[in-house]
Amino acid sequence: MARRSFRNIFVMVLVLIVGLAWVLPAFADKSSNTLNFAWTKELETLDRYYNTAREGMIVSRHVYDDLIYRDPQTWEYKPLLATSWKWIDPSTMELELRKGVVFHNGEKFDADDVVYTLNFVSNPENKVLVQRNVNWIKKAEKLGTYKVRILLHKPFPAALEYLAGNVPIYPNEYYAKVGPQGFGLKPVGTGPYKVVTVEQGKRIVFEKNADYFKDSPKGQPAIDRIVQRTIPEMTTMVAELMTGGLDWIYMVPTDQAEKLEKLPSLNVVRAETMRIGFLQMDVTGRTGDTPLKDVRVRKAICYAVDREAIAKNLVGGQSRVVHAACYPSQFGCIDTVTKYDYDPARAKQLLTEAGYTNGFEIDFYGYRDRPYGEAIVGYLREVGIKANMKWLKYSALRDATKSDKVALVMNTWGSYGVNDISNITGQHFRMEYNDFARDQAVTDWLNEGDNSIDDAKRREVYSKALKRIADQAYWLPLFSWVANYAFDKDLDFTPYPDAVPRFFLTAWK
Amino acid sequence: MIVENTAELPEIIFPSPREILFQRTLRHKGFIIGAAILALILAVALLAPVLAPHDPYHQDLAHQMQNPVWHADGTWRHPLGTDNLGRDYLSRLMFGARISLLIGISAMLISGLIGTTLGVAAGYFGGRTDMIISFLITTRLSMPVVLVALAVVALIGGSLTVIIWVLGFLIWDRFAVVMRSSTQQLRGIEYVSAAKAIGCSTPHILIIEIIPNILNNLIVVATLEVAHAILLEAALSFLGMGVQPPLPSWGLMIAEGKEFMLFTPWVIAIPGVVLSLLVLAINLMGDGIRDITAPEGHS
Amino acid sequence: MIAYTLKRFGLAVLVAITVSFVTFMLLRFSGDPAVALAGADATPEDIEVVRVTYGLDRPLLIQYIDWGRRALKGDFGISPYFNQPVEKIIGNRLTITMTLGACALSFAVLLAIPMGVLAAIRPNTWIDRLALTVSVIGQAMPSFFFGLILIIVFGVMLRWLPISGSSTWKHFILPAVALGYYATPAIMRLTRSGMLEVLGADYIRTARAKGLRAGKVLFKHALRNAIIPVVSLLAVQFGFMLGGSLVIETIFAINGVGFLGYESISRADLPMVQAIVLLVSMFYVVLTFFSDLLNAFLDPRLRVQ
Repeated sequence: MARRSFRNIFVMVLVLIVGLAWVLPAFADKSSNTLNFAWTKELETLDRYYNTAREGMIVSRHVYDDLIYRDPQTWEYKPLLATSWKWIDPSTMELELRKGVVFHNGEKFDADDVVYTLNFVSNPENKVLVQRNVNWIKKAEKLGTYKVRILLHKPFPAALEYLAGNVPIYPNEYYAKVGPQGFGLKPVGTGPYKVVTVEQGKRIVFEKNADYFKDSPKGQPAIDRIVQRTIPEMTTMVAELMTGGLDWIYMVPTDQAEKLEKLPSLNVVRAETMRIGFLQMDVTGRTGDTPLKDVRVRKAICYAVDREAIAKNLVGGQSRVVHAACYPSQFGCIDTVTKYDYDPARAKQLLTEAGYTNGFEIDFYGYRDRPYGEAIVGYLREVGIKANMKWLKYSALRDATKSDKVALVMNTWGSYGVNDISNITGQHFRMEYNDFARDQAVTDWLNEGDNSIDDAKRREVYSKALKRIADQAYWLPLFSWVANYAFDKDLDFTPYPDAVPRFFLTAWK
Repeated sequence: MIVENTAELPEIIFPSPREILFQRTLRHKGFIIGAAILALILAVALLAPVLAPHDPYHQDLAHQMQNPVWHADGTWRHPLGTDNLGRDYLSRLMFGARISLLIGISAMLISGLIGTTLGVAAGYFGGRTDMIISFLITTRLSMPVVLVALAVVALIGGSLTVIIWVLGFLIWDRFAVVMRSSTQQLRGIEYVSAAKAIGCSTPHILIIEIIPNILNNLIVVATLEVAHAILLEAALSFLGMGVQPPLPSWGLMIAEGKEFMLFTPWVIAIPGVVLSLLVLAINLMGDGIRDITAPEGHS
Repeated sequence: MIAYTLKRFGLAVLVAITVSFVTFMLLRFSGDPAVALAGADATPEDIEVVRVTYGLDRPLLIQYIDWGRRALKGDFGISPYFNQPVEKIIGNRLTITMTLGACALSFAVLLAIPMGVLAAIRPNTWIDRLALTVSVIGQAMPSFFFGLILIIVFGVMLRWLPISGSSTWKHFILPAVALGYYATPAIMRLTRSGMLEVLGADYIRTARAKGLRAGKVLFKHALRNAIIPVVSLLAVQFGFMLGGSLVIETIFAINGVGFLGYESISRADLPMVQAIVLLVSMFYVVLTFFSDLLNAFLDPRLRVQ
């Protein structure tokens, strides 16, 4: 009894201190119309074409504009820098451009900027990092001061999807002058926010673009000043949020998000994202003679992991188990594939059939969300598989995969927010380094689907591919990721499934 | 120091040196406290399979993050609660003691072997050997331990064995420094010269005459290095490059608990305090041994 | 003295060369720099071209000498991650780490030396024991654990100090305490034993006998002599702090050299890691060089060794 009351008093005092001291700093940011937020990453460059991180995309959407805008609410395509577009044939597109748009440095926006940007980034010699965003472009041609034509290598149904968010337009004169290196430190775009200070690995300061063109579907920015800080330690970040040093953070671990929810001055939103996790298994034995070559072993792994429990208890929020190798809302994704429900007895039996009665030992790779990986290790252990965790940075993991060292990996994919299956399944079964299955039939189906503009045909071949992937247990799709946002309750902020915050749609209440 | 020691001893008629040592030991509070804590932790580590109420690896996601027994909703089923995967925290703590001690002691043995060999060789042979070894020591000291350890672990991948070897190869400097100066002091002493004069072989002199006489200092350094290795492993684990989960090392438990520290501080406080206690106990022992074996009035 | 200086200097240079050579080799074994430079989607032919262009096909020793020659001119190569010269990136971060190191050292000195002196004046009293306890606990707590506790207590609960970043002097207080605390035990012990020794020496007794005031004796004579070994310890500790600031920088979001080194290791940015390890080692070498000189200057016996 005494123990309980002591603890209650302690908690009350803690909440009181935290709660009281809250009001002041938060109020300060609100009154100066500033937003302070943080992420953990040190962004190497602000040039979107030379970084791969989500943080790079966030900067891009605020500082630059794409040709087309995809409304995050209705999923509709809306005119941004292009006012209209039409397909001349399946591999040629013509776009009318918006007049009167000005870059942050005063340069006028016209067809030259579009042609320059597209030709620069699609040229393989310029080594843009995310090739899939641009390698479908053959070249761009100027048809008039405000009219351009884009030629594709071959029909590519997802082209609009990429133009709406992953192909920002740069000022040609300035970019030609400073190059990717200079641009990465002093970027210039047409977007709703301009970058005023870049202190690498420390902070980026954005200021409202007062001259942002009036009828942009992004709307007019409301917050005057946005300050991004890099804080590598999540605990430190949460502490800053609690004390008002920050107004907005995201990717908060579920347990902390649950606790932050209880604080009166904070809003916590736990929104599902398009990111799904999956185990990839070396089907063809390119890492050497691995038990995973045996489909029974792969199925055993599928049965061994209680994905439901991890999704519910560790990921939390709206996370749900996925069964096919795609995010459910994506075009072409189906749910009618072989499902592997948690059944450790079945897993053990399959292992015995495959000749691994006593299990086996295997290196288990991954790059993020270590606790989920640890939970999977725990489940594998129960059926006798000893998985040694090897958690690397993403680039190191990619190198290890390329040099055929990785037989079992927990990967995740956020599809860059693209609501089309070609951006996930198609990226992982292309006989490239990240294709662990190397199944020609699957590759062919996916190719057919990715290059067809006939919706029914696409659905048909994708479903064939997804069924085969599930039947053969090439992947164990895990569950959808949840982005936990925590922010000042006076902040009017809406999250979207692509987990890219839109601060140009955010305002202080 | 040791010269004075041997010179002083005969003056004491009774009790015998052994008894003095024993009495000094009993009078040294720090040593007693340290030894008691260490003995307790050692016993728990050795008996972990018997004492631990649960399998430290068994996860139960439905019962994650349960509070310890002193909280209102704590239960005796999990006296220290459960971690984020629902594993019994007390059991992990007990098995973690094994891992942390294993790392500390193994790394100490490796570094001790390297450092003592180098130090004794430098001190005994002097001259060019001493120059080269002193140079090696300076080089080693100038390299930042944490950075180099991180680089190596990142290169080979973290595992228990890797951590032990990396630490063992990195922290031999103090052994070398202390052993070198202790041996230097001994070298000129009469009985060593005498042994040389009657033609005893070098290994014989080293093993019979030198080693036993630098043993006190060796033990002191050894205890400190065990503590040092344990702390380093904790730091590496904290940075995600120590032993890999689900192995329950105390350092890793602190690292995994840091996410919860703002709201459920016990998750990090329990392994943090226990780790600090272990290091404290080892340091107290080390200091104690130094005080006890040093002659009166010196410390 | 000149001969001694030259000898020490030669040793310092030799250490520098060895350290750089060891790190160079170590990192070369960790991965093929040509692959890293060529980028993610390079074909084997591309990699070969890069290898030849950057001279990575030559024997390792030649490559090392080449690297060393350019490093001497302050050219540490291009970081494949930032796609910028290494020295440009490091330059920005070095000031921050140095500031942190200096603050931490000041904190350690301000805490440890008075404590050591007090403990020596009143040996075996509660002051002595308190000093001992503080120092023993300081040694036992992992620095990151201590850092996190500081954040909770002073940042979150009391709200006295900022939690993270490096924009004002206030930001450096908590990290400096966390980093400096670990160095206090060694400094305190050395001060204490140095003071005890000096206080027992004949000239202090004489000074006292002559009726000089206790305070004057203590500070003018005793402390000045006891502090000599402490100074060289400080140099060593400062070197260690630069190497050990990595953990503290991570916790307090200070983007100094240590954190850069840690991040560079995990993203396999080899030229950066190489430069940082060399730089931190050089600091240690230079500091010990000067402290050796200082000691030799103060204590002529050392010069003949």
